[in-house]
Amino acid sequence: MILVPEKAILRASQWCYRGIWGLFTQYMLVPDVPPSLSGADDQQVTAFRPADGFLSYLKLFFWIGLFLFDGIVFILWIVLLVNAWKIGLILTPLIWAIMIIPDIVAYIAIHLRYDTTWYVLSDRSMRMRRGIWIIHETTITYENIQNISIRQGPIQRHFGITDVVVDTAGGGATGKHGESQTVLGHSGLLEGVSNSEEIRSLLLTKWQDSRSGGLGDETDTDHPSASGFTTEQVGLLEDVRNLAVRLVSR
Amino acid sequence: MQSDEGHADFDATKITRPDPALFRYYVLSSLLTGPLTPFVLIPLWCRYITLRYKFDDSGVSMRWGVLFRREVYLTYRRLQDIHLTRNILQRWMGLAKISLQTASGSSQAEGVIEGVLEAEELRDFLYSKMRGAKDTTTTANSSGHPEDQARATAALEDIRDALQELVRQSAAPDQPASEPGDQS
Repeated sequence: MILVPEKAILRASQWCYRGIWGLFTQYMLVPDVPPSLSGADDQQVTAFRPADGFLSYLKLFFWIGLFLFDGIVFILWIVLLVNAWKIGLILTPLIWAIMIIPDIVAYIAIHLRYDTTWYVLSDRSMRMRRGIWIIHETTITYENIQNISIRQGPIQRHFGITDVVVDTAGGGATGKHGESQTVLGHSGLLEGVSNSEEIRSLLLTKWQDSRSGGLGDETDTDHPSASGFTTEQVGLLEDVRNLAVRLVSR
Repeated sequence: MQSDEGHADFDATKITRPDPALFRYYVLSSLLTGPLTPFVLIPLWCRYITLRYKFDDSGVSMRWGVLFRREVYLTYRRLQDIHLTRNILQRWMGLAKISLQTASGSSQAEGVIEGVLEAEELRDFLYSKMRGAKDTTTTANSSGHPEDQARATAALEDIRDALQELVRQSAAPDQPASEPGDQS
């Protein structure tokens, strides 16, 4: 038996994955570049993927699932071989295919999921993109965000990642389907990020600068008259006063 | 004149009808349901032929329906989040679905714009009209210094006193209230 060096396997799998990725970007029209934020006064646009720990986190669950599923199938196969070895031998290729092919697909899907997830933060809004078959892009301005919640489980803590959920006004976002509902509800999900503290402090400073409740109220922006006169107006008023005083004293 | 960077040739007000590609997409997606195709396709066809969009300065209205008509009007400033969704069929046909959410109680989108080929441009247009996308608060903050307020108040008080004096002076000679138009 020839032992293939580990590096060669790694290189070959990377090469395979690049081919699959090329297939997806070329024929399935999965965008290859991070989403942009344009159209408004955006500055300092930063785009990032989930942290590397997110990939390890997903792969941990992949390996757990693999051992459970393949273990059960393997035991069934052994039982079949012992009891009816003819049928067992005939079904051997099928059983091994059931054991191996879903694993490969799931492993590739994890990488594709990681590579198609993008988060873009600017100084006034955020945009999230996720999905392989169905690509969701969510745009939320910081002005509209009502609250931010940061979640971290024990396994996520081990990998140093957190889930950040920002909610806008309105209800019914997280229903019985949990995460899948979150994608299109009144919220945005930043899954598996390592810089949740940064995002939180960014939002806190935005909220401190903002003077609105984030519910579509327009008094804070378009009507400066509530806060008083400008210097120009005061000068005008003083002119009027002088004229009136002169009229009186005449 | 607000969003004239980048894609200047895109004009959202010109969008009134969905693109014919939307109907092709409806046909394909209803064929995927197999035997249910006619039941799925006929409502979608009705929706397609009656769907009208109208983008104006402050909001977007969309209406559809043959027997049961619906019209939705959404103000740009009240949009909470914008979702652009494209599945693989829509990507192949150059289509996208833009779901617009306001701060209402339902988790479903209040407005769904389908069948626009320039979906990304339209999304960026809507995004530029959202609250918080443009820097408009600084002008409000720059006005209203306390010293200006005090000066304005003093000036107004002086005007009032002077005008009162003027009224008294003009009322004291022979004809009272000869020129009421001056002070109106």
